[in-house]
Amino acid sequence: MTPTGPLVELHDVTVAYGRRPVVWNVDLVIDEPCLFGIIGPNGAGKSTLLKAALGLVPLVGGEVRFFGEPLGRVRSRVGYVPQRETVDWDFPVNVMDVVLMGTYGRLGWFRRPGDRERRLARECLDRVGLADVAGRQIGRLSGGQQQRVFLARALAQQADIYFLDEPMAGVDVRSQERIFHVLDDLKAAGSLVVVVHHDLRTAAEWFDRVALVDRRVVAAGRTGETLTPENLQRTYAGHVDVLDDLAQAIAARGRTP
Amino acid sequence: MTSWLQLGEAGVGLGGIHAWAMATAAVIAASCGLVGTLLVVRRMSLVGDAISHAVLPGIAVAVLAGGRPGGPLVFLGAVAAAMLTVWLTQGLRAAGGLAEDAGAGVVFTTLFAIGVVLVGLAPPGTHLDAACVLYGELAFLPFDTISIAGYAVPRSFVAGTTVLAGLVAAVVATWKLQVFTAFDPAGARAAGLPVVGVTAGLLAATAVATVASFDAVGAVLVVAMLVAPAAAAELLTRRLHRMVMVAMALGAVAACVGYLAAWRLHTSAAGMIAVVLGLEYAAAAAIAPDDGLAARVIARVRLAWRVAREDRLATVWRAEESGNRSGARPHTPHEAMVARWLELTGHLLRDGSSWRLSPAGRREAENVVRSHRLWEAWLGRHADLPLDHLHPPAEWVEHHLGAEMRERLEADMDERAADPHGREIPPEA
Repeated sequence: MTPTGPLVELHDVTVAYGRRPVVWNVDLVIDEPCLFGIIGPNGAGKSTLLKAALGLVPLVGGEVRFFGEPLGRVRSRVGYVPQRETVDWDFPVNVMDVVLMGTYGRLGWFRRPGDRERRLARECLDRVGLADVAGRQIGRLSGGQQQRVFLARALAQQADIYFLDEPMAGVDVRSQERIFHVLDDLKAAGSLVVVVHHDLRTAAEWFDRVALVDRRVVAAGRTGETLTPENLQRTYAGHVDVLDDLAQAIAARGRTP
Repeated sequence: MTSWLQLGEAGVGLGGIHAWAMATAAVIAASCGLVGTLLVVRRMSLVGDAISHAVLPGIAVAVLAGGRPGGPLVFLGAVAAAMLTVWLTQGLRAAGGLAEDAGAGVVFTTLFAIGVVLVGLAPPGTHLDAACVLYGELAFLPFDTISIAGYAVPRSFVAGTTVLAGLVAAVVATWKLQVFTAFDPAGARAAGLPVVGVTAGLLAATAVATVASFDAVGAVLVVAMLVAPAAAAELLTRRLHRMVMVAMALGAVAACVGYLAAWRLHTSAAGMIAVVLGLEYAAAAAIAPDDGLAARVIARVRLAWRVAREDRLATVWRAEESGNRSGARPHTPHEAMVARWLELTGHLLRDGSSWRLSPAGRREAENVVRSHRLWEAWLGRHADLPLDHLHPPAEWVEHHLGAEMRERLEADMDERAADPHGREIPPEA
């Protein structure tokens, strides 16, 4: 399948929990493979925006397209790495089991992973530096290793676009380096990598493009031109009381004071 | 409750009757162990509890509408009631903001109560009786038989086996989906897998396994069969497929053992099966390989012994270093015992009333002292601590440092191989 539109296109996307909007009117177009950072303060709605793009939370307005198509038609080409703490790491599976899950979407509902999938999973583990813990129960890994297992699972999906939700949260410096290098390799191989991220220092160092987000997109573009003091000020210094008060009124079916 | 005397007076071949009752209880318990494991790993045991009660009105309506206990209509009614429970619980949360556990508590007790009322309204002779629904009638099940290839087989054994076969087939066919959805529902949805369908299927399976168990153990104790074997299996293994098999086996064993014990003691079979399940869990908690009671006690004792050995060796080494040989003498009976043990293993040599190190003992002692002094040096460099606060942490850490870490600590040091008190750090032995 050849791309017929931009890799990712969010058009006037608004996301709400119940009736309360948390992300407002996002317009975002990413038209070439790169490392793309979604940056913003805590509670800015970064993860919500990511999940909305992947159809995991419903949109109240707007639309999302990948390669010019709705997600349902290109799902296998879009990989997702959820936040580490969204799953129970005491779950009775080992590292290999988790990485193999990356192949399940392509295998369909009933076909089982075979030798080919196992070989692929082992390669992916090797790429994130975890080849020697394939048989280990996932609860016995460090936070950084757990995050790399999730990354290996996404690699096993062999997608063209990867979405990662806070992959560096609670992760040691060595694992961070390793993860960034793997993401860089993906970019070099022609994939788009979109990362929700909170650390400005590493953001400036690694991302080609960024979107500054606080309930809405404050600015987006090339990293050097976007991470300006004025834009950061506008992202991190509030100005969202208006949106919060309005969201409250909408949720209560009322009117703001 | 079943009267075992009455059973005896029935004058039937008792051996065969007991074998059938145990076989029925075992297949039922295996079904419950299977779906129970999938509920427990999803942290949904409470849902199992809710469904096992809430299916009652579904069963009652099905029976009042002419269904036979154990027949297809009854299973259909139960599945519908289970779906209604979950749907109402989620509805209450969405509409009223009621927390999920409180919502489930309101919904399933209400539905259960409606079921109890319906059962009370049932005309006599409709195969529905409150005591049977609550506690089961395991010992009487073998008397209700159907004929298969000329053999009289208890109806509930046929129903239980059919349910077990169906559940096993369904879980094997959808295994991949079960694991992914249970572990990471959001990831599974993003991968395009039918997460809602798999979860609804699990709820339906829970309803079916529950209904198959009602005749035998009743609505109250079926929860034990759903949750207890799975919880015990979770302690014993770390892979889901093994956990399922262990839970099914534990359930089946408890069914047989519980039934026999109840027969010997002339008491409720269902109650005894649940008691045995509880005992199985306690045993699993005691012998669990990772954090079981026994494993923890053993680990603690081994560490205490290792610390005592290493402390003794290091004390003798320090005494030899300072030239004060009397410092090597044990001061307590415990220290003396450790010293004698070290003599037996060839680490210490007796030297009059005191002790000195053998070459093997010296190697081990040097590594302990080396760990101690390296840690003091590292802490002195990297933590803001006064000189006299370095010794206690090193006393503790010295027993946990390995060769590789010692090397890293040494690489981090200045040129001079001395601790912050100016004492020499011995080289790796």
